[in-house]
Amino acid sequence: MTQILDDYALNSPLREKNNWLKIAITAFGILVGVSSNSPVTPFIIALCMSIATIHFSKVPAKFYFKILAAPAGFVMVSAVIIAFFSGAGSEVFGFDILSHRFAVTIGGLNMAFLVLARTISGMSCLFFLSLSTPMIELFSVLKATRFPDSFIEISMMMYRYIFVFMEVAMGIKYAQTVRLGYKDFRTSFRSMGMLGTSLFIRAWEQGEKLYISMNSRCYDGRLILLEEDRPIKRSEVALTSAYFIIVLVVFYSTRNILLI
Amino acid sequence: MHIFEGFLPSPWWQLWFVFSIPIILFGMYRLNKLVGERRDIVPLLAVAGAFIFVLSSLKLPSVTGSSSHPTGTGMAAVLFGPAITSVLGLIVLIYQALFLSHGGISTLGANVASMGIVGPFVAYAFYKAAAKMNMNFYLNIFLATAIADWVTYVTTSVQLALAFPVGGALTVSGFMYSFSAFAAVFATTQVPLAIIEGALTALIMKYVVQVKSDVLVSLQVLTSEAVNKLKGAMT
Repeated sequence: MTQILDDYALNSPLREKNNWLKIAITAFGILVGVSSNSPVTPFIIALCMSIATIHFSKVPAKFYFKILAAPAGFVMVSAVIIAFFSGAGSEVFGFDILSHRFAVTIGGLNMAFLVLARTISGMSCLFFLSLSTPMIELFSVLKATRFPDSFIEISMMMYRYIFVFMEVAMGIKYAQTVRLGYKDFRTSFRSMGMLGTSLFIRAWEQGEKLYISMNSRCYDGRLILLEEDRPIKRSEVALTSAYFIIVLVVFYSTRNILLI
Repeated sequence: MHIFEGFLPSPWWQLWFVFSIPIILFGMYRLNKLVGERRDIVPLLAVAGAFIFVLSSLKLPSVTGSSSHPTGTGMAAVLFGPAITSVLGLIVLIYQALFLSHGGISTLGANVASMGIVGPFVAYAFYKAAAKMNMNFYLNIFLATAIADWVTYVTTSVQLALAFPVGGALTVSGFMYSFSAFAAVFATTQVPLAIIEGALTALIMKYVVQVKSDVLVSLQVLTSEAVNKLKGAMT
């Protein structure tokens, strides 16, 4: 599962675009979406980002909507809680359970819709970045910031080892499953324990081997990346500013509009 | 469970960043110091972080039928200490937000606060206190992990209740009411999940003591006498 987002990013036509531009677009969408008071702006952002991801980044629409639907479960449950408990105003509907009144108010319902819209817009912005920019590109951005070297080094090596361990874990899990290692709760619990342990021990040994092999190749605490210079084209600037202006105009003109 | 992107409204996501950033900076300072002293720790910490990530993406056998996964932070807190765990937690959370759409960037501060800071700190404090009182090592690991899980979810409930109190405006009664609602919903999956994760981590530790106990000694989780005693109890 984890490989998939990054795989699409590696093949994306937007991969060759300037990283800072893509990060600016994402950050702009997240910030405006989260500070908007009406569900209209997040909706517009989500629409633009989805179009950008599907049309420019060439991500299959079916896959895109599938991953966008994945977090919906958590958000829906929380939105229902918010609708019932948060907000004030007149009741839309309500019922009694054990002489306790549960009611959805106008304020609560508006809040729930707003949170739902903000979450979807934030998700679509994140997907735009993660489906168009492989992690390797983001590391060169990280290097340009002033984070300590040790932090960046650890993130880079972690990134590499996530895939190594994922493969090992999937292999072990498959082998356990075909030997009926997950046939009931007791056995699956025991199998999980063994899987976790062998993963931990293997991780540890890999780490030691990695240290030795990197040290013997003159590792001094800094991995140096070759950075490509990618100028921003005029058409990209035009498109991005058009998007920014549209979103800001919508943000300003719909700031008091509520759904109900 | 992490708070999703865009879920926290405006004053709250900034406030949680304000809360988390100093602790993360302290964690990075500790990390830098540790790396300066022992350079061989970098690859080890990296694989430990990857281990947390992979562990948290594996689904646990769950009794309630929900898809639950271990957080792994309780175990990391016991092994590496809470300050470094908070930095590892930050990296894991960024990766989860980007790869798995689990969590988000604007809510990163809040998620780091609950999963990377409060949970591990409480787990570590519990582990140290219980170890001083000579509690059984496996029982201690079990409780520390389960407590890390619970504290993480209580913190998440607090964060959500602060942002969405009953009645719209933030009052004490509104906060308490909303907090109990969020906590009750999370508790249905979290109470059994934390127990399972605790037992699983204790089981992992048992295997680690059996085959690679020198790691625990070099991380100063256990003294070599304690390891010998545990091994002696097994045979």
